[in-house]
Amino acid sequence: MIAALAAAAGPVIPDFGGGTGPSCVRDNGTFCMGWFRDNWSDIFVPALGQHVKLVAIAIGVGFVISSALALLAHSHHWTEKPITVITGVLYTIPSLALFQLLVPITKLSLLTAEIALVSYTLLILFRNMLEGLRGVPADVRDAARGMGLTDRQIFWKVELPLALPAIVAGLRIATVTIISLATVAAFVINEGLGKPIFDAIQSNVFKTEILAAGGLAVAMALLADGALVLVQRGLTPWARARTR
Amino acid sequence: MRPVGDQSTQSSAEPLEFREATKRYPGSNRPAVDGLSLEVPAGEICVLVGPSGCGKTTAMRMVNRMIDMTAGDILLGGRSVNARKPAELRRDIGYVIQQVGLFPHRSIGENIATVPGLLGWDKARISARVKELIELVGLDQEMRTRYPVQLSGGQQQRVGVARALAADPAVMLMDEPFGAIDPINRDRLQDEFLRLQALVRKTIVFVTHDIDEAIKMGDRIAILREGGLLAQYGTPAEILANPADDFVARFVGADRGLKRLSLTTLGELELPKPNGHSPRLRLPDTMTARDALSALLTDGGGGALVVEDDGSVRGIATIDALGRLLTDASVPEHAVAAPAPEPSEDDA
Repeated sequence: MIAALAAAAGPVIPDFGGGTGPSCVRDNGTFCMGWFRDNWSDIFVPALGQHVKLVAIAIGVGFVISSALALLAHSHHWTEKPITVITGVLYTIPSLALFQLLVPITKLSLLTAEIALVSYTLLILFRNMLEGLRGVPADVRDAARGMGLTDRQIFWKVELPLALPAIVAGLRIATVTIISLATVAAFVINEGLGKPIFDAIQSNVFKTEILAAGGLAVAMALLADGALVLVQRGLTPWARARTR
Repeated sequence: MRPVGDQSTQSSAEPLEFREATKRYPGSNRPAVDGLSLEVPAGEICVLVGPSGCGKTTAMRMVNRMIDMTAGDILLGGRSVNARKPAELRRDIGYVIQQVGLFPHRSIGENIATVPGLLGWDKARISARVKELIELVGLDQEMRTRYPVQLSGGQQQRVGVARALAADPAVMLMDEPFGAIDPINRDRLQDEFLRLQALVRKTIVFVTHDIDEAIKMGDRIAILREGGLLAQYGTPAEILANPADDFVARFVGADRGLKRLSLTTLGELELPKPNGHSPRLRLPDTMTARDALSALLTDGGGGALVVEDDGSVRGIATIDALGRLLTDASVPEHAVAAPAPEPSEDDA
């Protein structure tokens, strides 16, 4: 065991109440499984739940706003440029800077965290939605119109289904990005997987807690991504039809 | 010919009339279509043909109001297309385009069911109609659940035609429907389509830039010139025999005499009996006079026996006899003016 080999003169790590081999925790071993297991329900389950909530709200709200923006740009082409510029600027502001700007207005609240997170989803989701809707081949659109589909029917029966792969692709990127980014939200609210990470940093960089929280964020991202892939396969069976 | 269900025999078709139909785009000093007037009788194929920029596609797209005309009128079954809501009008008009435009996310069956679905047919009726159409255009029923990407170009265009016919439209619009198909398959699709048309007898506006296709497919041909002006409107035989002007003569080509021969099959000609002559070359009586002449010239000119389907000899064809057709204007005219065979005869 690494912990057994570690020098006794290492940093003093407070015992987080674990009944594990205290030596691992005391010596700040790479990963103390016992400590992780003991604190799973007290630290990680709530953090995980909060993280899911942070991400779900951000993606949900971002999706609604982006959909509205994409529809606007789809029907009024001139709006595409300004929307792209604005969402692009939001995307490039460093998150920590954005928090600093928002805190005086919206305080240390969930709202502050979500405004920042939602801002980062907009460019990704908007661009993918618009590309998807625009990507419908001209001949398909022409045939649809020529057969007597109304504009509304063309949107619901042709454009939207054909845009789904691009829309889901956008959702995948946005979700993975926000799952990672949401850890930073712990700067303004003491919630999510960022909280155990910040706690660990403040406790002389307790490796186990950082790795555990980080690992959970990665696992969550992979799981969400996989789930979205399944959703896409279910929604677009035609996209996998083999060509001759 | 394939056996066809009862429903397809109840086929509707309406006459179509362009009345001084004009399309002028803002900012353009020349109209795209200029006072086009022509009548297409119900159940006939009218081919719009001409060089690029002659407005043939624009003229076609004015029929289902994909493009709205700026003056004049188009009457479908005696009723102005402008009197109807575009979407509702279009559901009554079959629409086939060169790139087919099948919905990639819908199965072949669902693609064909598009317009019946829009018209609110019940499921059982749609399903029966889809089955019938797949058969009508010569596809396997197993294609029904496939997606367009899994079909060849020719198969896709057959689906395109089936989809256009689905709700038994009064008129069909076809914009270079076989233009993207390789020459061999194009020829087959053209033949198939003509057989299909003999059954369904739709009023068809068919756009092409290929004069040979126009001659083959058209009951009537409208030759348009740049600026959307009608240069000549008539049967293929009339146009080939008497081009209205230099433009038409140049457009139909210096070989228009030979092209006229392609309007006649050996079966339609009066042929002398062999009288003991027994040339080696045998030609089917379904062959066009043009192809027969080519075969005779290639063979060395000894003449050929023209045989019917059952193998019986119809007569003898010689280069001289076929050559005389080139100067005899009446023959192809007669051949084309004859009514197309009734579906019942065709099936027999």
